[in-house]
Amino acid sequence: MNVKMLNKSNNELDKEINEESSSIMTDIVCYLRVANISDYYQEIVRRDLLEMVLSAQDRGESIQSVIGEDYKTFCDEVIENLPKRTRKERILDFCETFFLCAAILGGINLILSKEIINLLGAIISGQPLNFQMPITASSILLFGINIIAAFIFVEIICKTALNPKKEKHLSKPKRFMLGGLAGGGVMAVFIVIAWFGKNTLFTVNMVVYCVVVLGLLAAYKIVKIIE
Amino acid sequence: MIPSQMLKGILEGCILKIISRNETYGYEIAQKLLEYGFSPIAEGTIYPVLLRLEKNDLICAQYRESSCGPKRKYFSITASGKKELHAFLENWQELETGVNRVFAEKETENQ
Repeated sequence: MNVKMLNKSNNELDKEINEESSSIMTDIVCYLRVANISDYYQEIVRRDLLEMVLSAQDRGESIQSVIGEDYKTFCDEVIENLPKRTRKERILDFCETFFLCAAILGGINLILSKEIINLLGAIISGQPLNFQMPITASSILLFGINIIAAFIFVEIICKTALNPKKEKHLSKPKRFMLGGLAGGGVMAVFIVIAWFGKNTLFTVNMVVYCVVVLGLLAAYKIVKIIE
Repeated sequence: MIPSQMLKGILEGCILKIISRNETYGYEIAQKLLEYGFSPIAEGTIYPVLLRLEKNDLICAQYRESSCGPKRKYFSITASGKKELHAFLENWQELETGVNRVFAEKETENQ
């Protein structure tokens, strides 16, 4: 069975587990997703765990009776006893995520650009069509920041999925203020970058731009097939 | 309750022995260990050991239909697993003799 088939059958089995086990299984799978093991072994472990949990469920036992209450230690022991990803697998995994992120961000950038709105307006009013799209320094920089941030966020969220839940020491208004400050700070950085990098570096034809975005999507699909 | 560090190596040999007798699966192994007098051991404690044995080619796994739930993973011993089991038994006997002698001598001293 290949990874895709395993994933499909695991998703089906996943629907059979009860709510409590499901939430724990989600955290475990999240933790396994960023571990240094191949997608194939992630799905193999997932299937084994689902079998254990469903059998325990049939016996009227909880997920804790199967894997204990220290899920992180359990997962670390499992990961330690599985073959590590090869260099080729690591590179392919990185390329797969990068190509998909780049294609999505590229697509969003095109859809939300004022040039596409101008183009649609020109089509409706019958004016001459302008397919040129300016690429600024800030758009390239923000594109890079978004991709790096996406990688970092996924890594942090998945790696801490099994950490014990800490009690919130800060009061609600303080948390709200801190969240606002952080959000505002990020927004300020983005505005500064957009302001200083507003000069056009080069222009690109929208058709060429679309071909590049579709090329990135095709590259993502090819990497998935190779994997 | 045996400390986990002490249990780790011993458990590997015992699991290998149980698998050498009959093709079996995780939960059944946990039940057999209980019958042999071990404190209750969760299936999740056995699973990483089974993965390690499989990775080292000492056992092999096969998915079979089960009476309830999804397909179950059955394990059987390989040729290198049999050799490892033999080595484990020799090591264990040497260790057991040594430990028994150490403690027997200590008790004689105390008397």
